[in-house]
Amino acid sequence: MTNTVPWRASTSSALTRREWLARYGGGLGGTALAAMLAGDRDAAAAAAGTVSHPARIHPPKVKRVVQLFMAGAASHIDLWDYKPALVKHHGQPSDFGEPVEAFQNGLGPWLRPIWGFEPCGQSGKMLAAPVAALGDVVDRIAFIHNMVSTSGVHSAATLLQTTGFVLPGFPGSGCWVSYALGSLNDNLPTFVVLPDHRGYGSNGVKNWDAGFLPSQYSGTVVQPAADEPLADLRPHSAGSFVTGSSDAAARDLIGRLNRRHMEDRVGDSRLEARIQSYELAAKMQMAAPEALGLDGEPEHVLRLYGIDRSRGHWPSQINAEEETHHFGLRCLAARRLLERGVRFVQVWSGNDNGFPRRNWDSHEDVERDHGPLAIGMARGTAALIKDLEQRGLLDDTLVLWTTEFGRMPSSQGGKGRDHNPFVFTNWLCGGGIKGGIVHGESDRWGYKPLDRDRPTTVHDVHATMLRLLGIEHTKLTWRNNGIDRRLTDVHGHVIDAILS
Amino acid sequence: MLRSPRVVQLLAVAIAMCVGWRAAAADIHAAARGLLAARCNGCHGADSQESHLRLDSRAGLLLGGDFGPAIVPGKGARSELVRRISTTNPEEQMPPAGERFLPEEVAAIAAWIDAGAPWPGSDDASAAGGRDPRLEHWAWQPIAHPAVPERVVSFAVIAGVEAERNAIDFFIRAKLAEKGLSPSPAADRRTLIRRLCFDLTGLPPAPEDIEAFVADQDPLAYERLVDRLLASPRYGERWARHWLDVVHYGDTHGYDKDKPRPNAWPYRDYVIRALNVDKPYARFIEEQIAGDVLFAATQDGQEAIGFIAAGPWDYIGHVEVPETKTDGKIARHLDRDDMVANAAGTFASVTIHCAQCHHHKFDPITQDDYYAFQAVFAAIDREDRTYSVDPELMRRHAALDARKQSLEDRRKEVEKRIAKAAGPRLADLDKRIAEAATLTDGNPGPAYGYHSGIAAAADVVKWVQVDLGGERAIQEIVLHPCHDTFNDIGAGFGFPVRYRVEVASDPEFGSGVTTVASLVDADVSNPGTKPQAHSAGGTGRYVRVTATKLAARKDDFIFALAELQVRGTDGTNLAADAVVTGLDSIEGPPRWARRNLVDGESPAEFFDREKLLRKERESLVSEAVDPELVSELDDLRRQIVAAEAERKSLPPLSIVYAATTRKRGGKPRPIHVLARGNVLAPTHEAAAGALTAVTTLPARFDLPPDHAEGDRRAALARWLADPRNPLTWRSIVNRVWHYHFGRGIVATPSDFGRMGSAPTHPELLDWLAAGFRDGGGSLKNLHKLIVTSATYRQASGSADGRAAIDSGNEYLWRQNRRKLEAEAIRDAVLVAAGTLDLTMGGPGWQDFKIEHPEHSPHYRYDLADPADRATWRRSVYRFVVRSQTQPFMTCLDCADPSMRVERRNESISALQALALLNNGFMMVQARQFAERVVQDAGGDPAAQVRRAFELGLGRDPAPDEAAALGEVADVHGLANVCRVILNLNEFAFVD
Repeated sequence: MTNTVPWRASTSSALTRREWLARYGGGLGGTALAAMLAGDRDAAAAAAGTVSHPARIHPPKVKRVVQLFMAGAASHIDLWDYKPALVKHHGQPSDFGEPVEAFQNGLGPWLRPIWGFEPCGQSGKMLAAPVAALGDVVDRIAFIHNMVSTSGVHSAATLLQTTGFVLPGFPGSGCWVSYALGSLNDNLPTFVVLPDHRGYGSNGVKNWDAGFLPSQYSGTVVQPAADEPLADLRPHSAGSFVTGSSDAAARDLIGRLNRRHMEDRVGDSRLEARIQSYELAAKMQMAAPEALGLDGEPEHVLRLYGIDRSRGHWPSQINAEEETHHFGLRCLAARRLLERGVRFVQVWSGNDNGFPRRNWDSHEDVERDHGPLAIGMARGTAALIKDLEQRGLLDDTLVLWTTEFGRMPSSQGGKGRDHNPFVFTNWLCGGGIKGGIVHGESDRWGYKPLDRDRPTTVHDVHATMLRLLGIEHTKLTWRNNGIDRRLTDVHGHVIDAILS
Repeated sequence: MLRSPRVVQLLAVAIAMCVGWRAAAADIHAAARGLLAARCNGCHGADSQESHLRLDSRAGLLLGGDFGPAIVPGKGARSELVRRISTTNPEEQMPPAGERFLPEEVAAIAAWIDAGAPWPGSDDASAAGGRDPRLEHWAWQPIAHPAVPERVVSFAVIAGVEAERNAIDFFIRAKLAEKGLSPSPAADRRTLIRRLCFDLTGLPPAPEDIEAFVADQDPLAYERLVDRLLASPRYGERWARHWLDVVHYGDTHGYDKDKPRPNAWPYRDYVIRALNVDKPYARFIEEQIAGDVLFAATQDGQEAIGFIAAGPWDYIGHVEVPETKTDGKIARHLDRDDMVANAAGTFASVTIHCAQCHHHKFDPITQDDYYAFQAVFAAIDREDRTYSVDPELMRRHAALDARKQSLEDRRKEVEKRIAKAAGPRLADLDKRIAEAATLTDGNPGPAYGYHSGIAAAADVVKWVQVDLGGERAIQEIVLHPCHDTFNDIGAGFGFPVRYRVEVASDPEFGSGVTTVASLVDADVSNPGTKPQAHSAGGTGRYVRVTATKLAARKDDFIFALAELQVRGTDGTNLAADAVVTGLDSIEGPPRWARRNLVDGESPAEFFDREKLLRKERESLVSEAVDPELVSELDDLRRQIVAAEAERKSLPPLSIVYAATTRKRGGKPRPIHVLARGNVLAPTHEAAAGALTAVTTLPARFDLPPDHAEGDRRAALARWLADPRNPLTWRSIVNRVWHYHFGRGIVATPSDFGRMGSAPTHPELLDWLAAGFRDGGGSLKNLHKLIVTSATYRQASGSADGRAAIDSGNEYLWRQNRRKLEAEAIRDAVLVAAGTLDLTMGGPGWQDFKIEHPEHSPHYRYDLADPADRATWRRSVYRFVVRSQTQPFMTCLDCADPSMRVERRNESISALQALALLNNGFMMVQARQFAERVVQDAGGDPAAQVRRAFELGLGRDPAPDEAAALGEVADVHGLANVCRVILNLNEFAFVD
């Protein structure tokens, strides 16, 4: 292979990605293969006597990630980023001091935060009323108020946040993490996605599928409240001829016939891997219902998350109780999955764009949509953080709150706000994160970063996330169509200021 | 060019004085060079060349790196070097970490550049001279005609190894010998036919065909089989799927609001047809880039340019954001980028899209090349395109178009003369009529009327009423219906299906109610915008309209009125600006508000206005204009209507989702080279062209200034299909090789650049490319050559000592065992079950239901019925959704339609096992499989197991296999045995 570009000098004796892949691609022994199939790089490496992915050069602070994604663009200035200037100048014609290109017609008068803000925690961080439930844990959170996007279009901007690129076809961040680290379990998927109960956000599965990485790194969709929470976990109803005992007999026979088939096909590790994939599937069938069932959860835990199992019907209008119940269900499922060794869980709030609003895209009325969504989100999120903490999991779990962009400080049609890709908020919490701080401020209106030359980008957040997982973001690469692709593209700086 | 020394000195001293740097110019220059050496050479010097940039020589500074030249001599302020050391943008600043340059240091370097960047012992000639060494890379070299190597005699004695069957074997075996490897024995016939059938048609052989082939004594039995398979329509279906991977074909747009493309399939069918008729490859290229220009009168020419539109398209970025906004510019830039990447990657195997922000990092492709390529597609949009497969029909449509056009031209001329005769008053009237006419499908102003709250059922009762301010004598009550295009309803929007009109003095309508009209017992037909008058008589203060059956809106029901007029005895409207109350109201001003009910505006009023204006115009024209002109105009209008009618009487034109130039009227958008790929930083304009690195062909198309849009694409098509283009011919033979062996001679089929793989057999690649090109570009001949080689016919066998030398089998010392792709698995399941419907072509079958189609469609695979026989067709005809990819197929590593896929991933996972065990498709087919087996084999359980085995795996079961399966059949039934067979490794792999 002609490769005139030297790999960057590595600071450890780790293998290059190519060497690493070559070793893994070659004939591994059974134990290593099984571990690899289960996605457990560490065990596979140990069994095969090799080392882990060459990008793993930093001491890891966390083992797992839960990402909360607010589809439709959640308003930073109505939830996290308090702007007294908007209160003071409410109703006056907005003046940004420069021409602004709004997505729609969102350059009406200044619109004050829809809710009051109160100082919370030791840090005194100002939080809006609907997210006040997060006050209990706010001292563990690091806010970034100077996030910027390169697109004000939902589809492109959502892809940017989930994959690091504005075009479809790139692996989700959870895929990269799965690829680099593998699983912590041998009976559940490595990367689980919990979509909004109403459906997928913008771009659908493109936010979490594996792109050019092998499909095993793709996010697996789990619908905790659905009859069939995981696709194909049980025989489809058309297969009424399958019974528990016929299933076991079939599996046993598949294994036997496959081993026989392998006898005169020596040295093809794929055949052994496929045999083991059926054994792993059986384990997953046992483990997944247990992981997703809530029967074992005591009443006080359900209450903590705001889950109300007595409710069968909900009003047709968007309302806080229903949002709380559904988001709480996803958060509790997330905790159970993380606890059982799922590496990366992505929890969505909000569907794609439609009418009536099913997401955070509050062009018409921030109060109507953001209110219930935020109350539900804050309750579930606070419960998740507290629950992880009381189980000793928060110290090696990263909680990442994101959205595709923010909303304008000026009004649109009186009560709504237009897209603001120029500045918005992310926050992080958990292992390795310095809590109770703000890194990077927005300007007095919440229109652009205060220091326009030093914004924070999604690549910085991704680089930081990977660093916490022990991964050097510049070394986590995959060759595709002539380019060594990275989650962070050619960008990204670790945000040292928020690391503890 | 250097400035005179005197100027240099003066300039440098002046700048030095400005920054308080008291030194002579020569010292400043030395200091500047010293700064570069001290601060930059670590990364941009002899040992390391980040971004391919060297700053340790003047030549290096001028040549630059990935971001272009570092300096422009004489222009310090415009030099990238100065920008990078002075910017505060952390993404761009240099050095990226550590000590920054001080302002006076930046000034010194700028001054030195201003002075021409003098460098001891260097001159400009040495910098500019010399050929780019990257042009020595193999892919840019002309295709050679290598001699076929000598026979490797020692291989002849290896048991079971076939003699060389064609030139391919000589090339392969020479390399095996060189590497210390040896070929493997030929595979047995049973293995060969299964391999060949999957490879050429994507389907397994029928057991009867296997037995016939195994027993065939003809020495040419294999060749005959190859010919038969290549002649089968199944061949085109199989290989079209490979092509559709590469060009990232899909049946929806992708992104957000992923709407269906119901007319994308004609391109898919074109590819299948082109492969089946073995269209010469040059023609295949030309049709896909410029078929509408070069072969306009052919179906293939019209449908092939679906290629350009095959990839994803951002609906919001194009439809909801105008081209004038930044996000709109980015969307269109990225859209062209997709076309460029698709054309260059598919046909030439180059990654030109990497030169979007800067020169290509690894290959000699400049940013200018990239934008020259973009300029080729500058007039293109993706949308439905009308055409006909019948040239005569297309001609007749075109003739009628032309006739209509000339009539229109004449009409305009006559109208001009009439306008001149009638004077400015006519123009004014026309303007007012036109204003009115554009609004006839809407409302006179932004206020539409009153709109009740939304109800879930039609029989919810709603009312609205006006307060006349006191007791009034009422003669007539007029209800004006609304107009709203919402859900394509239009005229009569929200007008109640049943209602009554009442007058009372009690605002609650509790007592003393006079019913003026009662239409509550039967549905009234929708009146459109025609006002509905009800004569009253009597007095009252309040007038109420009560809807007892609401109008359907969209899955819900409403009551809306544009205007409520209450005429007094003198005809005045007593309700004008009256207070309006209602049971409820959606109150969405300005469009919908209670007060709009009495604002004096309704669609009906408005229509009247237009009618009056037209009358006025008529009388003006009859007074002022020569009657002959007027009658000629009438005549012309009649003829235009007739031409339109004739056109409508013709069979309609066909539609394909493809490239069109309609939106831009065939006029290319100006394409500029964008600094750092930023749409807000255009530099010079780019002329249409291709790659400068292909030195055998002109890199810029020499088109006249008045050239048509299509000339650019025709030029690119010819450039790609030119026999002298070294990329094209290697690209296609390598792709074909890749699919036959699972690995290309170049392992990266869409990247022949330095970051791609080097060819394992460069001479063979050239020999194949030259032969393919010079032999007429027949893909079927190429397939036959490859699959009849001894190399292809080798057994896949087991790994042995040779694996220690070549574990990846790059040199083909055996055939590769292949894991079946998603489509092949699915189609093979249908074949085994005897359920495969071989209907070819047409709209894709859908195994999902669409929810919310009006806005952002949800593709619900879970709601589809796997027993729906419409879905039991070949996988290539599946309706391919981008945003919600088919879960079963995706799990089996099906190509992602958002990406150009040069080779499929091959993964093995527990989720795959679950899908193959439990998916509804597998369950339904396992049951069908069992039913078929009973039909074929009758009631004997042993015969049933044998038949199931041979249908699934193409061989008889061994006694122990038959026994084990028989046991499961006995206890759990035959369907469970079928399920087992469909899940075996032997089913999923081809030896």
